[in-house]
Amino acid sequence: MRSGRKLSTSAVTRRGFFKQVGAAAAAAGLAPAVSSPFVSTALAQAKTLKILQWSHFVPQYDKWFDGFATEWGKKNGVTVTVDHIPHLELPARAAAEVSAGAGHDIFAYGGSGGPHLYEKHAVDLSSLVGEVEKKHGKVHQIGRQIAYNEGTKVWSALPAYYIRFPGLYRKDLWDEIGMKPDTWEDIRVGGAKLKAKGTPIGIGLGHSVDPNLSYRSMLWSYGASECDDTGKRVTLNSKETLEVVKLVRALYKDAMEPEVLSWDDASNNRYLASGRGSWIHNPISAYRSIQKSNPELADKIYIWKTPAGPVRRLAAGAPNSYAVWRFARNKDAAIEFLRYWTDNYLAAFEASTGYNHPLFEDMVPKPMPILSNDPTSHPADKLQVLETANEWHATYGYPGPAGPASDEVAESFVIVDMMAKAATDKATPEEAVAWAQKEIELIYRKWSAA
Amino acid sequence: MSVIAQAAAPRRLARSRFTFDRLEVLGPLFIMPAILYVIVLVGLPFLLALYYSVSAYSIFNPSYTFVGLKNFREVIDSEIFRRTLANTLIFTISAQIIGLLLGKIGAMLLMQEFPGRRLARALIVLPWAVPVSLATLAWVWMFDSLYSVINWTLVAAGLIDAAHRPQWLGQEDLAMIAVAVVHAWRLFPFGVVIFLAGFTSVPQDVLDAATIDGAGFWRRNYQIILPIIAPIIMIAVIFGTVFTFTDLSVVYLLTKGGPINSTQVLGSLAFQVGILSGDVAHGAAICLFLFPFLLVAVILLLRSLRRREI
Repeated sequence: MRSGRKLSTSAVTRRGFFKQVGAAAAAAGLAPAVSSPFVSTALAQAKTLKILQWSHFVPQYDKWFDGFATEWGKKNGVTVTVDHIPHLELPARAAAEVSAGAGHDIFAYGGSGGPHLYEKHAVDLSSLVGEVEKKHGKVHQIGRQIAYNEGTKVWSALPAYYIRFPGLYRKDLWDEIGMKPDTWEDIRVGGAKLKAKGTPIGIGLGHSVDPNLSYRSMLWSYGASECDDTGKRVTLNSKETLEVVKLVRALYKDAMEPEVLSWDDASNNRYLASGRGSWIHNPISAYRSIQKSNPELADKIYIWKTPAGPVRRLAAGAPNSYAVWRFARNKDAAIEFLRYWTDNYLAAFEASTGYNHPLFEDMVPKPMPILSNDPTSHPADKLQVLETANEWHATYGYPGPAGPASDEVAESFVIVDMMAKAATDKATPEEAVAWAQKEIELIYRKWSAA
Repeated sequence: MSVIAQAAAPRRLARSRFTFDRLEVLGPLFIMPAILYVIVLVGLPFLLALYYSVSAYSIFNPSYTFVGLKNFREVIDSEIFRRTLANTLIFTISAQIIGLLLGKIGAMLLMQEFPGRRLARALIVLPWAVPVSLATLAWVWMFDSLYSVINWTLVAAGLIDAAHRPQWLGQEDLAMIAVAVVHAWRLFPFGVVIFLAGFTSVPQDVLDAATIDGAGFWRRNYQIILPIIAPIIMIAVIFGTVFTFTDLSVVYLLTKGGPINSTQVLGSLAFQVGILSGDVAHGAAICLFLFPFLLVAVILLLRSLRRREI
């Protein structure tokens, strides 16, 4: 067959094609080698710093941060790039950067698990944290929980701030029933009355971050927790947990609507904004967005501490921290930038409209700007109660440290599902607690062996 | 002179025969990129997953300590995993059935002559072409607990009571239906294209003969058209099954596996454990449970296809 074939007489012959492609490939392959001395010299001259953090719920904070970082870069001869991604994408992005051994210099974790999980891939920031503590006061327990490893004595991240979880309530509606949502029992009793009037309360029961924090708050307030203070022994199956699960079942049936089962993190905000919701457990972002969309309704919304339980008043805050990767190209500049950022934390706090609660004691002096006197709120001291947030906040892993195990429990939504199972009668409260204890034990056991 | 030149030319060609003019060289060379692609992007990750699944590898402790089948035992021990496995089968089978049914109906409609048929054919591939994140976000709004357009329509039509509106992503059974429907919606343009290709391959004279012999719509459909296009449908089923069984995007974007893990599928659980929680070893073990199911499904479908071809 081949012998009878004629050679192509067209302009592009197979031989010609391969010759040309070969030449092009060789040129492309050689180009970096030929130009590399010049490129590497240019790179050495241009110092860069790449930062990755989540797209903040308060967009003006991102705007401030980007400008702040650029200004710092100009002063120090560093080209700074700040990338923002949705907060839910941070864990996958961290995994991708570590796998590739490349990416950003500074990585802002949103959530609890990152600093511990990635300890071996991050620069030890102990000296920076020590320095910041000297300048700006003692670090809050949330900071220690998320970024300090008691075993290795390593600070794998700089505690940045946390997002508070107070109660946001419709004062007009609660006044009508003559109550204030101060305890979880108030929420149950008042919530039932308000549901009967067509304005229920709402805590999500779906797979999202907010209920993870709300139900932990509830457990701690009743003296229950998923593990002990060593962070190793699972202690969920207790009479206190059972009491909380029964409370949630009562809340679901008497004070909430079934729609809470499908809520994501924005649903409770929309619920309050719709005028139907009478109380939600949420950061003040819900209030801030209602201020813009419906100022009249915003005036009726008040903020109060997380509800207290019979044992204590404690909410789970959503922590944030900054890590510097070991593979970062510009570690010194990264640490220097973080130092500068902590020194200017007051401006950061103001830019976040009081949203980012400081993790070092004296970073923002009291009375805190905005919280003590917010010109956009009526009355102006509506947010003042948040100044006391450090007294009633902890985070994942409480009373122990946060870590890969507590983080996986959160990522798996075991606590939320325990509540949902009992609330929807898919299991008795006892069965739901036993199920959650087993699932959490499996997770803690495998991480303790890691 | 010209005679000498003509005689010399073939000899020169034979001497300097270019390597790439030889089929035994060129054939393997052309197939090499595809083989390399499969080895690098399918084979190696698969072997790596096998390796991880029997190790203690995690982001926290990236060591390759061999642990045997411990990870698999621990994974099976979890009720969440067992439920996930069942969910994955339900999700795959239901999305396939709905997707193929919609595909067949769509193709039958598009076979008819009507004004704007070309535009309709172009538009029908949109669900396939639109990025999954964008499309799924639209569905999130359609299923929203407060502002669901589906519920609004049902209430406006008097079919349901506003106080008892369904919670599409909040009730366990409805949530599974919702994720299956959204995935089927993504699949159905593929089904339409496959069925259209199949329909055009059915000889018209066979259909005419059947009609003359008295075969009605259903008989023509089930005893003539479907057997003829069965091999093509099998290909669609294989692709669709693999595509659905390994998918996590729709579930992750719509429900994150909730409520109470009623929509958790193997892909989303593996992502949650292996990537989000950093437990690569257990994540790999979960992933590998996809393999035997897919292998059996593909073997059965290919055998059925081969039998039909014979």
